Amino acid sequence: MPGWLVRIRTLFRRSRMERELDAELSFHLDMQAAQYEARGMSPQAARRAARQLFGGVEGIKDGVRDTWLTRLFETTVQDARYGVRGLRKHKGYAIAVIATMALGIGANSAIFSVVNAVVLQPLPYERGNDLFLLRQERTGRENTYFSLADIADVTSMSTAMDAVVESHDMYFILVGAVEPARVSTGVVSWDYFDTLGIRPLLGRSFVAADDSMHAEGTLILTYEYWQRAFKGDPNIIGRRVEMNDRAHTIVGILPDVPTYPQANDVYMPRSACPFRMDAEEIDRRGSGMAEAIGRRKPGVSDRELQADLDRISARLQAAYPDAYPAARAHRFTATPLRAEFTRGFETALAIMLATSAFILLIVCASVANLSVARAMRREGELALRTALGANTSRLFRQLLTEHVMLSLAGGAAGLLLAFIGMNLLVGYVERFTTRATEIRLDTTVLLFTLGLSIATGVFAGVIPALSHRLTSRRTAPYANGHAPVNWQKIRRALIVTQVATSFMLLIGAGLMLRSLWKLASVEPGFTTDHVLTMQLDMNFTKYNTKELRGAHLDQLVERLRAVPGVVHVGAGGSVPFLENAAQGLGYFLIEGRANVDETLRPRAALKIASDDYFRAMDISLISGRFFLPSDSLSSEKVVIINDSVARRYWPGADPIGCRISGDGEEWYTIVGVIANVRQQLALEPTDEVYRPMRQLPYVTTNWLIRSTSDLAVVAPLVRQAVRDVDPDQPIYRLRSMDDVRSASLAPPRVITILLGLFAALALFITATGIGGVIAFSVSQRTRELGVRVAFGATRAGLVSMIVGEGIRLALTGLAIGAIGAVFLGGVLSSMLYAVQPTDVITYLSVSSLLLAVAVLSCLVPALRAAMINPMDALRVA
Amino acid sequence: MARQKQDLLQGTLDMLILQTLALEPMHGWGISLRIQQISREVLQVNQGSLYPALHRLEQQGWIDSEWDASENNRQAKYYRLTRTGKKQLAEERENWARMTDAVGRILQGGMKTEG
Repeated sequence: MPGWLVRIRTLFRRSRMERELDAELSFHLDMQAAQYEARGMSPQAARRAARQLFGGVEGIKDGVRDTWLTRLFETTVQDARYGVRGLRKHKGYAIAVIATMALGIGANSAIFSVVNAVVLQPLPYERGNDLFLLRQERTGRENTYFSLADIADVTSMSTAMDAVVESHDMYFILVGAVEPARVSTGVVSWDYFDTLGIRPLLGRSFVAADDSMHAEGTLILTYEYWQRAFKGDPNIIGRRVEMNDRAHTIVGILPDVPTYPQANDVYMPRSACPFRMDAEEIDRRGSGMAEAIGRRKPGVSDRELQADLDRISARLQAAYPDAYPAARAHRFTATPLRAEFTRGFETALAIMLATSAFILLIVCASVANLSVARAMRREGELALRTALGANTSRLFRQLLTEHVMLSLAGGAAGLLLAFIGMNLLVGYVERFTTRATEIRLDTTVLLFTLGLSIATGVFAGVIPALSHRLTSRRTAPYANGHAPVNWQKIRRALIVTQVATSFMLLIGAGLMLRSLWKLASVEPGFTTDHVLTMQLDMNFTKYNTKELRGAHLDQLVERLRAVPGVVHVGAGGSVPFLENAAQGLGYFLIEGRANVDETLRPRAALKIASDDYFRAMDISLISGRFFLPSDSLSSEKVVIINDSVARRYWPGADPIGCRISGDGEEWYTIVGVIANVRQQLALEPTDEVYRPMRQLPYVTTNWLIRSTSDLAVVAPLVRQAVRDVDPDQPIYRLRSMDDVRSASLAPPRVITILLGLFAALALFITATGIGGVIAFSVSQRTRELGVRVAFGATRAGLVSMIVGEGIRLALTGLAIGAIGAVFLGGVLSSMLYAVQPTDVITYLSVSSLLLAVAVLSCLVPALRAAMINPMDALRVA
Repeated sequence: MARQKQDLLQGTLDMLILQTLALEPMHGWGISLRIQQISREVLQVNQGSLYPALHRLEQQGWIDSEWDASENNRQAKYYRLTRTGKKQLAEERENWARMTDAVGRILQGGMKTEG
């Protein structure tokens, strides 16, 4: 049985061991007595003599017991006390190690808390692992979503699922809280929360009756909205608010759980959504507007679920050949809802994880390096102790104890860092997943940090401890501190590891930085300065006809144009850089050309623009004209196309006057061609077709207001102008276009900052490491250097010799790092814009930076070496 | 622990125990007997040192133990040398040899200069 197991056993099997000890000692006593008896003593006398010789039994037992329990703890306490004493004498060393460890452990704890919350922890729903997001796939479309009929079909036909529920998100105007507000509204099946297993914190869930056609309006508020808009009012249940010109009663409050796919303010049953209850949406099959979530029956496998879905698809295709044409292969898929929460976030997570692991590696190497350096200085002491009979494994443990103590302190400091950095991280993760709200420093994270601290301490301590163990056997009789093992060799290896890892981090940061820089300097095809933007969602029950909406838009434009300093006022369905900028792809036909199958038809983004939209954006007109007030509801239907469409479908020809159509019945005349613009900085311009807002007055409008005066002055005036037209009109996201543009770069910027910060840290740690190793090597070679000077070596020659040593280390690490970076660069490629993962400029500049830093960090010890007085050097023993 | 130093140098008893067990597995009584016999009664092993030492060596993993019938058919706790124990013994023997050699040299050298 290994010693440590024996020791652990003593902790749990005390009574049995006591009995065994009794038996063992009494056996000895009996044997001794028997020996005396054999020599002729009477049994009583023999026994007495044996006892006398044996001494106090209890004393012996105590001595044995001491070895059982106390050893484990006492020696540890002793080691710790010894360690503290030693460290107190070397405060600089202790602080350096704790600080380094704090950075490494802190970074890893913070990143782990994210991974733990959004990936490892199950969804905070009942049976969260049985929830699947369903998709309808067709050739060319990843998801066509679900109509009411689709949901009903799948629910009734499925044998593998016990519930299928739907949801879609809308924006409505809620009146009755502080001020009229645009609320993001989840529209759901009545049994949505029951199926997900979310029990309301207050009040009740929806019931079937809430979802009937003429039910009274009911609302459930999310926890966050309840806190924000109603200050957590506990008497909220039963309160009535107005939405879509209908009274809605608040019936429940959700607990603080993440929702899919977005964080909503309120939830309503689907019967209350005018869009979902549109006749077309009800009758349609094979596509719709809702997401579907299915709950798998307990015990059903992934494969059985897919087989069930395939069966349903086959039945539907057979029953409704028109809705499911064979040419556009129809298929249902199911992916775990849990994975959907972090969809699109995996790469960023992987990068964060890899970065923090690299930092940890550098930290370990650096701490090991520091302690090897310390062990070199203590070598004499350790060798002496070994020679005096100190147990080598005890010394080994002492070194480990010291490191674990340091890393525990580092871990505690690291937790503090993680706690501070948490807000930045949560803010970043929120952009990708609603599960960001679950990120916290909980028990799992604390245990992780503890485990990581101990592991880091052992890892960083085992290198010097092992090397000591190796040397001690050989050096014990000499005890003069000149070790035959080349400590410097170990330190060099550690430095090379650090350089290689730093290089990889620097390459990552460099690539991201170049990509970000390229993104930031992209010309989107319009100018963003001096433009304000805002989103207005019209109350569609108040402005319920195209005429009313058109008149309201005209009124708004007119009033806004009267604001001092404003030169152009445009409105559109969307504006660039917003997440909804890439909305609505549509197929179209070109008049006079062959009608082809839907999948092969021309496709373009369908957009809506007012008369002055393009002027406000500063988008140039290539041919034809912009929209005019005369393009009204009653006049000829017109469109403006962008240059990309014109070149693709009318190469070398003028498209003005040609007609296109979406359905082959209603035709639109092309009246203008505008320059290409980017809807997102990272995306190339796509094909776009614009329709005039006058002919398609939409409820949601995004405004562009170009002004010659300071935007800070104009913004409140704009707000007032909108209120003047309609005091109940909520204003959403009133910002400058420059801000919108900059905000659209936030995700790559945060990752770049994170990588850059870590890379800078790595570089700093590595630089100090190189400097330390070189300085030590100089101090050890004082004599040799003195001899060289005495024999005529120039100071410049000495400096270059020593710096050369540092450069050799750096170059070795660089070469290894470059290989690693080429391997790992591929992970980044999906996050890079217009930069190859093997970008030569990045590699060259990072290499030069690393080399420059290496040279700088060697320069101090090199110059010191150059100052050596040969006579002093030779006198050093 | 103080008692131990009266008889044997710290570490020496451990070495003697390991050496004894290198021959064959043995119980505590047998070990003390054997050390006495082989050293021709020069070395007396105090039980107060022997048993703590045995338990300590066991926890260090150099020896392990097993209950077995003794020569007079009583159950006794037998100790046996482990693999790491063998290594440790070899190392201690080497150290011992070096130490006695060094001490011997010093003593010899001391006599020469005096003479």
